[in-house]
Amino acid sequence: MSQHRVIVVGGGLAGLAAAVRIAEAGTHVDLFSLVPVKRSHSVCAQGGINACNEVARQQGYSEYEHFDETIYGGDFLADQHPVLEMANWAPRIIDLLDRMGVPFNRTGEGNRDLRLFGGSLFKRTHFAGATTGQQLIYALDEQVRRYESEGKVFKHEFQEFLWPVMEQGRCVGIVAQDMRTMHIRAFRADAVIMATGGCGLVFGKSTNSIICTGAAAARCFRAGAWYGNPEMIQVHPTAIPGADKLRLMSESARGEGGRVWVPRKAKDPRAPKDIPESERWYFLEEKYPAYGNIVPRDIATREIFDVCVNQGMGVYGENQVYLDLTHKDPEYLTRKLGGILEIYEKFVGEDPRFTPMKIFPAVHYSMGGLWTTYTKGSYNPQTALTKHKSGSPAPIDAKVGQGMQLGAVNNSMTNIPGLYAFGEVNFAYHGANRLGANALLSCIFDGLFCGVSVLNFIRNEAPGKNPAVDLPAGAYDAVVQQETAKMKHLLDGAKPANQDASTNPYMIGKELGEEMTAACTVVRTEARLKQCLGKLAELKDRYSRLRLADGASWTNQSFGYARSVGDMLVLAEAIALGALERRESRGAHYRSDHTGRDDGNFMKTTLARHANGVTAVEFVPIDASLILPTARTYGKKDSSPNAAAAPAMASAAS
Amino acid sequence: MTATAQTPRRTATPDRTVTFRIKRCDGPGKPSYWQDFRVKVPKNSNVISCLQQIAAEPVTAGGERVTPVVWDSGCLEEVCGACTMVINGKVRQSCSCLIDDYAPADGDVITLEPMSKFPVVRDLWVDRSRLFHNLARIKAWVPIDGTYDLGAGPKETPASQATHYVLSTCMSCGCCLEACPQFNLEEDRDQWDSSFIGAHAISQARLFNAHPTGSELKPDRLDVLMGEGGVNDCGNAQNCVQVCPKHIPLTESIASIGRQVTLHAISKFFRG
Amino acid sequence: MRLVTVAPALPANFYWNRTVTQAETSAPNAGFMARHYFLLRRLHSLSGIVPIGLFLINHLLTNSSAAWGILASRESEHSGSWAMRGFEYFWKEVRWINTQVPNLILIEVALWGAIAFHSILGFYYAATGSVNTDRYAYQGNWRYRLQRISGYLGILFIFYHVATLRWGWTFLVPGGTQWSQDFAASTLAMVLRGGSSGITFAGLAVSLAYFLGVTLLVFHFANGLWTAAITWGITISANSQRRFGYACFGLGAAMMLMGWISIFTFLVADPAKVREVETRLGSPRAVAVQAGDK
Repeated sequence: MSQHRVIVVGGGLAGLAAAVRIAEAGTHVDLFSLVPVKRSHSVCAQGGINACNEVARQQGYSEYEHFDETIYGGDFLADQHPVLEMANWAPRIIDLLDRMGVPFNRTGEGNRDLRLFGGSLFKRTHFAGATTGQQLIYALDEQVRRYESEGKVFKHEFQEFLWPVMEQGRCVGIVAQDMRTMHIRAFRADAVIMATGGCGLVFGKSTNSIICTGAAAARCFRAGAWYGNPEMIQVHPTAIPGADKLRLMSESARGEGGRVWVPRKAKDPRAPKDIPESERWYFLEEKYPAYGNIVPRDIATREIFDVCVNQGMGVYGENQVYLDLTHKDPEYLTRKLGGILEIYEKFVGEDPRFTPMKIFPAVHYSMGGLWTTYTKGSYNPQTALTKHKSGSPAPIDAKVGQGMQLGAVNNSMTNIPGLYAFGEVNFAYHGANRLGANALLSCIFDGLFCGVSVLNFIRNEAPGKNPAVDLPAGAYDAVVQQETAKMKHLLDGAKPANQDASTNPYMIGKELGEEMTAACTVVRTEARLKQCLGKLAELKDRYSRLRLADGASWTNQSFGYARSVGDMLVLAEAIALGALERRESRGAHYRSDHTGRDDGNFMKTTLARHANGVTAVEFVPIDASLILPTARTYGKKDSSPNAAAAPAMASAAS
Repeated sequence: MTATAQTPRRTATPDRTVTFRIKRCDGPGKPSYWQDFRVKVPKNSNVISCLQQIAAEPVTAGGERVTPVVWDSGCLEEVCGACTMVINGKVRQSCSCLIDDYAPADGDVITLEPMSKFPVVRDLWVDRSRLFHNLARIKAWVPIDGTYDLGAGPKETPASQATHYVLSTCMSCGCCLEACPQFNLEEDRDQWDSSFIGAHAISQARLFNAHPTGSELKPDRLDVLMGEGGVNDCGNAQNCVQVCPKHIPLTESIASIGRQVTLHAISKFFRG
Repeated sequence: MRLVTVAPALPANFYWNRTVTQAETSAPNAGFMARHYFLLRRLHSLSGIVPIGLFLINHLLTNSSAAWGILASRESEHSGSWAMRGFEYFWKEVRWINTQVPNLILIEVALWGAIAFHSILGFYYAATGSVNTDRYAYQGNWRYRLQRISGYLGILFIFYHVATLRWGWTFLVPGGTQWSQDFAASTLAMVLRGGSSGITFAGLAVSLAYFLGVTLLVFHFANGLWTAAITWGITISANSQRRFGYACFGLGAAMMLMGWISIFTFLVADPAKVREVETRLGSPRAVAVQAGDK
């Protein structure tokens, strides 16, 4: 084993995949996580993981079409080469997970079963019940435990990442704090992989876990890492409203035939089963005859939002629509969707197999994240091709290295050498909107494919000659001191008597969430975003005078939360600023004052930089040399609640 | 999930105040003490949303301003297992514990305690490292030849998948261990390997023994499970299966591993 | 006001003060119990069924023959009384057992060994658990608790039973009755009644102790048989466990019935009349002893 060490921050799918890849190559991994890795937010992913498969392939589908769908679904904002490589790798990843023992649902013959998912007309989504993310992360957790037993991985659980350590122009380690003992320590590493997920908590209530504050990414951002497309926040169309969080109702509910509707009569007081078919408005099926209920998330979200908020057609006049599965066989539903239906029943108290679910959109995923780069692969056509015709022959095969060059040291590396970003915190793959069941794929792909790049970096670049273990302690000590001072600042004067709402971290966090949800989610306007930036400035000011009620130097949870709020404020500002400056509508970003897509000015990455406490954004060109942009309509037609009730037809329900 | 149409929930009094009686502890080795908090509960509240209210405004029923209560939580949708605690005397996840069910009337009391079989870190937060240590002991993994592209895994019938999937939904929350009369608190790490391993790890051993590649390590797993603290320590109280939030057939797993160690022992006796 | 200001001191061996990356295997210098853990556990399970459980069934069958022997006994040449036929049958059963003397000693030694092994290990194993029926009042949990209680009380009862009837510790018997194998039924009746005349309160207390003791031991056996099937991996599915549970319940119920009927039969028997039967059937030796008494 070499004397090199790699730090992986985050124990979700991306972090675990990276840890396994690096550990099996013989390099020591230090894995940092806020929670035991088995409890990471990846467990919440429900629907499945996309990959071209033999059944779809024999119907004309290909890895290339998967790539094309992802680019189109992301509204042409992603650099195209990394997406191509990811789509090409997808079948390999499924095979690997299969070998690891993931209990994928099976067909009668014992093959992996498939389901339909948003943004595709082919069944290309592999799934394990309705808890695919959980099953995938368990499989990787088990592999990491194996390497942990062999002493190749060391897990630092309940450790919070505080700051990257930079020396000689590269990242050489991190400073982290044990959330129990509150000890702040520096850890040396030849490369640091951030796999810290999204930032749902910036929006207060979201579908994210309580740990998804985005603080780790924000700290890298504050330390000089660039942030890409911060404004691209996916609002999932179907979530269960709740007091503490908004629980996801998987897209697979629609993929398995779930139909979205509202009564044609506004504020209809009747129970759903008493409303005859002719008086139900299946607005998605009417507006999008081809895709029906399985249009991509941003479109479904906006339509539901429009029906409820603008037209006042929500069920019982509230912000909710029906997601109806009651026409399906209850046995079938239990087998295919048991896990998520159980969640609904547990938290709402109604059985969705017999009563339509009441759902509303919720913040779900951050397409944006730390900006990363890559080395282009071998596929470079003379001119970009037009949009791939579904089911037609693919222009290229799926050999490795056509999209990204395997092992190039800068794949998924941030602007700071030695600092990588994998998974949701990497902005690279989903453009302006992520397709359902592509998130799990991008996480594992990053870990496996770019893990090789990390290995090459520590072997062939600066760490090869000058490993972190030999560096002077000065840089590490300085960051430890910086973080200790931060802690002292927050803890000094903390006492239970401090309960003034204006300087209470929980109140500031709550107001931040409410403001961001109101200004920066489904519909955005210049005026509202400017107001939001004003509010953020006010919150920042209040934050600087923050008073804690708990001064404990042992497992001080409110201190940890308070520190994250400071980082969330920085991230929130980048999100609002990006949304303000992007004067167009694209994917998840919808500006009611700029409703069209403006490829000339904005088919560019929003690049946010932070220096001296100030965030600035600019737009930098993307590489779109593979596919020409086309209008992203998903075949939309006009529809209104009062139109003659067309025979409702769901392409997925048949 | 019930197979027939749902039974209506008890109607809860709107705008009521519920008392949370919380067992607190400032850290390992410190004494425990109880504090009461009164919380106004909106509709659809659960224990977590009430704890969030308490954290934002930690004032006891007696009007004393105290430190916020510390607890562990993650996904809040009962798939991560983090927020497990003892509520009204029984172990369960606090996120799925709806106040409308537990305290439907004004003035109702809900008691919250940390799990008793794991060392308390602070207040309601316990450290369950031992759970994961036990998974390592029984080698709960499929020993694949690395993460390279080596083709698909073995085929599997839907029936076999259904069995394995249920076992694989175990989120290591520790409910089965908290309720088990044979599983004990062990603060001394040296005792971990001789004290009862519990249903959680036994069921995982069953899962991996059943996998064609995972069965490679079956003898190692059974050696651990036939030893001290192994499956023989089970007292068949069968509380585990009653409290498992994922309805995993833990007692079947215990019996299955019982058979496997029986055969393993016979095989070892005759074949060395 | 409670406020932590310093990190609490952790015990020296507190688990997160130690870092272990290798999954530990049992230490090579483990003690006898650890080295033979599986064997001892399974012998403990087995010993409860064979020989102890088998003996218990046999014992209850023999004793209850005082009641059901009425139906089984066709020969009534010795007795004019229909009610006494059961005691005749019982007398013959006991005589048959006692004429197997060399075997009997072997059986007794084996049985005592098994009971000692089963109870000593049982105490040791039971000490590893901590009951929690107050919080988890499930039926299975109650059976777990009862299994331990019945074990503790059961072994006390066995000791009392053998000490008073076999070893002649008459000071523990109200009325000081000395049980005799030749007059098994009549002396047993006197033990349970508290003397040779009417039923005394002390006698009722002894009968009650027998009732409880027999009930607990039968429960211990039937429940133990059910759990053994799980331990050995004979019943795996929840359905098979439930079905075998009914079977064990049936067996236990039948055994309890035998035990209770035995106690009742001897309790209500008139010792004098029973002794007449025994004297009539008895060997010359028995007659001689009886003559000597007079």
